[in-house]
Amino acid sequence: MEAPSAVVRKILIIDDEDDIREVAALSLESVAGWQVVTANSGAQGIARALEEMPDAILLDVMMPGMDGPTTFRQMQATPQLAAIPVLLLTAKVQASDQRAFADLGVKAVLFKPFDPMTLAAQIAAVLGWS
Amino acid sequence: MDTKPELAAALELLWQRFLPQMLERIALLEAAAAACGAGTLHTAQIKDAHATAHKLAGSLGSFNLTRGSVLAHELELLYSVQEEPAVELGAQLAAITAELRSLVEHR
Repeated sequence: MEAPSAVVRKILIIDDEDDIREVAALSLESVAGWQVVTANSGAQGIARALEEMPDAILLDVMMPGMDGPTTFRQMQATPQLAAIPVLLLTAKVQASDQRAFADLGVKAVLFKPFDPMTLAAQIAAVLGWS
Repeated sequence: MDTKPELAAALELLWQRFLPQMLERIALLEAAAAACGAGTLHTAQIKDAHATAHKLAGSLGSFNLTRGSVLAHELELLYSVQEEPAVELGAQLAAITAELRSLVEHR
């Protein structure tokens, strides 16, 4: 009997910083074996999300142009994307910022700098992925 | 398969690729600290320094430079004031930035 194959998750990373995007992608691909697609702006992220229909989205907060919260609200207003879980990624550590982000309705707020060794486990735990 | 050595090696390659960018960011912070000490720091420079410090704070720790992220966050806070930082702050900004450069160069 064949062993059941592991589910390959698809994650969209939206971040304007090349280094963050590449470290996160590398981490999720090599540690968890997930498929990663990326975008470097909120607008590109929404377009990529519609093309790729990822299982989850990792969304940077501070981006030029459309920031993370605005991008999230636009996704929520887009019927095809509204059900995709979104995790915000931020280097903002002030409690007031954190409360405001949590109030948006995202699945979780993850903090930069993240540990590339454990990022996938953090995401999996939030989303209940075994 | 243990992915840790593989990931560590790949992260090292990424670090080498992004090191020039990190050093450019530090150079911008050094210029801002020097301008502060000289009393010539202007609003646009404060804004740039704040954004640059924020970027470094968010990334250095992922390259195993936790102390670097802490220092960059200190700079981010110091540049987050609305008005021009006092000239006396120039020495503190320069000292933090110098430590940051040393950490990055000796990683």
